[in-house]
Amino acid sequence: MSSALSKNDILQGTLSLLVLKTLASQKRLHGYAITTHIQSVSDELLRVEEGSLYPALHRMEQLGWLRSEWGTTDKKREARFYSLTAKGRKQLELEEESWSRLTEGVGRVLRYA
Amino acid sequence: MSWLGRLANVLRAGKLEREIRRELEFHAAERADELRAAGLSAEEASRRARVQLGNPLLQAERTRDADVSAWADGAVRNLRHAVRRLGHAPGFALTVIATLALGIGANTAVFSALDAVLLRPLPFPEADRLVRLMQKQAESSETSIAPVRLRDWNQLNSSFRVISGYFVEDVSETSGDLPERVRRAFVTPGILEAFGVSPAQGRGFRDEEHRFGGPPAALVSDRYWRARLGASPDVLARSVRIAGKAVPIVGVMPASFRFPDREVDLWFPSPVDAKFAQSRKSTWYSGVGRLRPGVTLEQARADLAAVQSRLAEQYPDPDRTIGVELSPLKDQAIGGVGHSLWLLFGAVSVLLLIACTNIVALFLARGASRRQEIALRLSLGASRTAIAGLVLAETLLLAVVGGGLGLLIAGVATAALRSLGAELPRVDEIVVDGRILAYCSASTLGVALVCGLLPALRAMREKSRVASGESARTQVSARQPLQWTLVGAQVALSVTLLAAAALLARSFHELARVEPGFDKSRVLSFRMSGSWNETADYPALVARVDRTLQALRGLPGVEAAASSGWTLPGVPVEYESSFELVEARGDVGRRIVADARSVSPEYFDTMRIPLLDGERCTQRAVGPRGALVEWDAVVNRAFAARYLSDFPSAIGLHLDPEKSGRPGRVVGVVGDARERGIDRDPVPTVYTCLGAPNPTPYFVLRTSAEPLAMVRAVRAKMKEIEPQRSVHDVGALDERIDAAYTMRRLLTLLLLLFSLSALSLACVGLYGTLSYAIGLRRREVGLRMALGALRGDIVRQFLGQGLRVVGFACASGIVLALALRRVLAGLLFGVSATDASTLAFVVALVVVTAALASLVPAVRAARLDPMRVLRED
Repeated sequence: MSSALSKNDILQGTLSLLVLKTLASQKRLHGYAITTHIQSVSDELLRVEEGSLYPALHRMEQLGWLRSEWGTTDKKREARFYSLTAKGRKQLELEEESWSRLTEGVGRVLRYA
Repeated sequence: MSWLGRLANVLRAGKLEREIRRELEFHAAERADELRAAGLSAEEASRRARVQLGNPLLQAERTRDADVSAWADGAVRNLRHAVRRLGHAPGFALTVIATLALGIGANTAVFSALDAVLLRPLPFPEADRLVRLMQKQAESSETSIAPVRLRDWNQLNSSFRVISGYFVEDVSETSGDLPERVRRAFVTPGILEAFGVSPAQGRGFRDEEHRFGGPPAALVSDRYWRARLGASPDVLARSVRIAGKAVPIVGVMPASFRFPDREVDLWFPSPVDAKFAQSRKSTWYSGVGRLRPGVTLEQARADLAAVQSRLAEQYPDPDRTIGVELSPLKDQAIGGVGHSLWLLFGAVSVLLLIACTNIVALFLARGASRRQEIALRLSLGASRTAIAGLVLAETLLLAVVGGGLGLLIAGVATAALRSLGAELPRVDEIVVDGRILAYCSASTLGVALVCGLLPALRAMREKSRVASGESARTQVSARQPLQWTLVGAQVALSVTLLAAAALLARSFHELARVEPGFDKSRVLSFRMSGSWNETADYPALVARVDRTLQALRGLPGVEAAASSGWTLPGVPVEYESSFELVEARGDVGRRIVADARSVSPEYFDTMRIPLLDGERCTQRAVGPRGALVEWDAVVNRAFAARYLSDFPSAIGLHLDPEKSGRPGRVVGVVGDARERGIDRDPVPTVYTCLGAPNPTPYFVLRTSAEPLAMVRAVRAKMKEIEPQRSVHDVGALDERIDAAYTMRRLLTLLLLLFSLSALSLACVGLYGTLSYAIGLRRREVGLRMALGALRGDIVRQFLGQGLRVVGFACASGIVLALALRRVLAGLLFGVSATDASTLAFVVALVVVTAALASLVPAVRAARLDPMRVLRED
């Protein structure tokens, strides 16, 4: 829908991996910080579409991978902070593994061709 | 998040939505900050931030969808959505609701009858332990039990808590201005114990009241107490007056106690120790017993058979010839209507099934037009279960509204049933109560599931498509095999129902045309009260009945008058007896079993049963105890043909009933009459020439005008000559014969109604499905017409499509009808269950109706303007 804004649409299914990884390193972040973190760490290569982020966060919370609580930011704004649960950490391992397998597989195919 | 959390989310959806909004607003604010830092104006920054976030409402909704599980919140939302959607399609909604209301209403009404008559126990505590007992004698229909034998059974058996006996008579109660007919039952000790009831007021009978010469006592019914005694509180100080004797009332029975039948208002103790009650040959009581806990009917049967065989050793004459027959009391109370009720319930359930099928087809057609919407929802991330929930919510809503209306219809219908079938057993117990409510709710839910499941599954299988370019038309297969199968099923089931209804209707037609062998028109029948005490002096009883007949014959407008002991011609009652032909004594192979009827000599003239041979009978003198010293017999042609054909003439032969040793002389042979019921072939019959074998015979009058116009004159005359007796059971003979077929008539009428409704539903389904199929093929039709196809071709094509399905359906329907022909066994008359002409008529009717239903959309298709259709895209 907002296709004009997201030149680098994140591959479907990788968003949760990125979110999990971000939260694993940063402990406790609100949604906006998650987008900026992914963007800066990926050197602006990846850009999280806001339209998908919040449904994804809430779905992951329902699946028990994340927990959330309301808190105050440095700018004294009310925000919802997300952090990883034990289940989320396990999920991260799974997704990292399947991701590396995927990239390796794709890489081999590319090299072969 | 736990289930509890989700549920909490459902309950505080408002709070959740606020939180999501706050979260999104925070995000937009942070983004705006960033954009401002990059040099945009504050206004532009916040605008961009919002645009980037997308539509905030949609965002909030989608985020919330992830939080709130579809199940509970979804139900409420789906229902609200369903209301809105159906509001946009009022025609569709009303059609479905009306169909369901009628389907569920009719089904619930018939179920309430089935439940009240067949399923519910009799209104007594632990009523399943109540058993009817009869004594069975070889080659005789007599089943009443001798008082002494009843006593023996009670003493010797180990299966029953108590066995009690009763008999009924119609007497005059004379405490008021006019004598009034009251039905009273004489009961042996233990009757209340057997039924497990006690009087609502007062007490039951004491032992001394059951003794001969003991103090008189009567129990009255609740109805009698209210109607005759004005619900007087001092009822226990009042008395009833019968045969000039005042009998004190000792108790009032509860309203639910209507035994042996609902006409009985008085119960009197039967003096079992009276001298005249000691003969083992007397036949007095019908038996009713209460089984001990844990004893089955089979055990009781074996027990009583053993008891009776001991009695047979002790008293070879007559106990050797006597057996015991046990059956659940409920079977007797229900009579023969069980089969008809199940049949009716089956038919009305098929009707409901057809209604459901119809609705499924409607939903499927509608679902196809909703594909776009469903595809859109799927692409927006709605889960498949959520889509199914959406569809199910619609059917549930429609079913609940339809079921609610159906319950109202059932209420009206049961009232109609009660008045239409007033003669049926237990019909007054039909009510719409909690049980029926539960049944109605269950069937409503069932209907919602049945109707919703297929469309819901269909919707779930829908592929997620971005609702962009593709239009519905190009995606839908034009064949819809499922819809056509459903239509075919509807037509087939209607054919089966129609076949049953047509066969029953045909039977009634045949029944009306049958020549019964007597003339049932212009005959008035009635009875007069009398007491079994009168049988102590038989000659007086006979003289009294003769006197009454004389007086009746003197009335202007009466052409002939006669009396008939137990039966009315054509009203089904069986009374079979064995006879011995005196002239062929010793010929053991000659067993003679015949219908035995006791009539006054004028009976044959009155009923216009022709005398074929010999002469009219004469009523001879009767001995003091009712013994026929010498008597005339008249046999019918069937009897003469079957049993007496090897004699040159039947006249002058002698018949000895049940080896009584008092044979009667055959004086005449009469034509065969359908005495046992209009629908049954005449059976060999022996008429005993005795007009008063009991104190309350039927009087039959042939009148020169409308029989019921004579009632007033008859009553006046009877008051004049028998002021102490009451006239009751007054009616025209043809109406009584009709009344005997109430259940069957009701069954036929309802089945016709149901099957015609089924046919109309099937036609609506056919019409709808064909219209829908044509709608999908508009372009094809337009194209073909543009290429020169004739209108007739188009009509033929679609008519053919409809009729092919109808053809298959008719064939399956007939096959089903033939397979189920046993169901109609015993209900048909003069027509076989496989009657080709009736079945052909049904098929023709269905094909013609279906052709009309298909013709309308087919013609409409042929009228399409090809240019307009092709330009539509």
